[in-house]
Amino acid sequence: MKRSRRVVLTMMGSAAVGVASMGLAQAKTCRPGTEAVPGAGGRLHCRAIYRGFGGTLHHFHGHGHGHGHGHAGG
Amino acid sequence: MQRTACPERDDWRLTADACGFDFHTIDGERYWDERAHYAFTLQEIEHGIEAPTAEIDAMCLELVGRAVGHEAFLRRLRIPEAFWPLIRDSWHCDEGSLYGRLDLGFDGHGPAKLLEYNADTPTSIFEAAVFQWTWLEQAIERKIVAADCDQFNSIHERLIRRWAELGEGHDLHLAGTTESSEDAGTLAYLEDTASQAGLATTLIDIEDIGWREDGGGFVDLEGRDIALAFKLYPWEWMFRETFGAKLSHAQTRWIEPPWKAVLSNKGILPLLWEMFPGHPNLLPAFFEDDPRAASLGETFVRKPLYSREGANIALIRDGTAIVQQDGPYGAEGFVRQAYAPLPRLASSHAVIGSWLVDHTPCGLSIREDENPITGNSSRFLPHVIV
Repeated sequence: MKRSRRVVLTMMGSAAVGVASMGLAQAKTCRPGTEAVPGAGGRLHCRAIYRGFGGTLHHFHGHGHGHGHGHAGG
Repeated sequence: MQRTACPERDDWRLTADACGFDFHTIDGERYWDERAHYAFTLQEIEHGIEAPTAEIDAMCLELVGRAVGHEAFLRRLRIPEAFWPLIRDSWHCDEGSLYGRLDLGFDGHGPAKLLEYNADTPTSIFEAAVFQWTWLEQAIERKIVAADCDQFNSIHERLIRRWAELGEGHDLHLAGTTESSEDAGTLAYLEDTASQAGLATTLIDIEDIGWREDGGGFVDLEGRDIALAFKLYPWEWMFRETFGAKLSHAQTRWIEPPWKAVLSNKGILPLLWEMFPGHPNLLPAFFEDDPRAASLGETFVRKPLYSREGANIALIRDGTAIVQQDGPYGAEGFVRQAYAPLPRLASSHAVIGSWLVDHTPCGLSIREDENPITGNSSRFLPHVIV
């Protein structure tokens, strides 16, 4: 049963996660299935729609819970 | 199976911090606890845990095969009808599973009993696969445990091997609730194992999955197609969220696959009992609205169909809830399961987590609590084979 093994952890805890930048101005007309967001120089461009997943967690736990709360695993 | 008090490594927090295990203490209380360990004989591991785990998983797969072909099963599990084809197709296309964890009641004497199957979004895998193993190596070095001690644990190697099979040259996105340190840590660890398997990986928050109508499909924040995605986020939540309706139209292959939505539902407990009545590794269980539930009498465990980390589970004794966990679940209904007291050692109740990678039993973890219902902050203790 005994195993010798080499555990290489290079990324644990190094997760740097981007935060969606939500555009405020919606003046630009985008095709269905896209949304207007400010890009370089503040100009609006159309991009995919985001935040279609993730709502249940906030519904259950609310925002801003600290360590050990409000997670989706089990 | 014994619980043995032992000295903790004086530098374990530094070791934990050095590898990014930053949720070892939750709300000021120990989550990782090495002031004691559990010791098993090889016989207990192989015959008491490993073999029953494989058998329970096989029964579960048989259940899924039956459920996808019988609407009555899916209806009883309260899975929304709109997603039956998605679940069915993922099963018939043999979409592969990465991992899962059975929670078992086991005292080293009688047969292990299935309490529930964390089939969709199991966490605590880093501490089971890596930190527990590191503890063993250092505990042997420091003579905390005997030099010939072993551990039931090949989780890490098997994850890497499985990722290589599942990846098939695709880039892998890993998505989950990154604001939770536990989920972020789990994602980071799984990303690491996928990376070691040679996959190109991208970690994103579940909210940062986008949808693009033109070309059709899920994309990341850079607008890149998500072809293969690991999600640490429950299927039942995805089904009812805004993008749930898009799932059937997307080309994305998900890990865990949609058919795992069947097994992560506590309704499998009565369905398994119905299919395999009297099986030694199952406890009698019934849907709450089933008249046969009365056969359990006034003492049983009440569990919501959907629940995680022990939420909304109640221990009913003589008709009265003597222990009850708060939570947001229960709208879809409840099951009742026969009460099988957990082994109690040093005033703590212990639950065995039996890990499977690609349906192969390959490791275990112990969670301990003074409360008979295991919750999110129940302590994690290491184990050895003596």
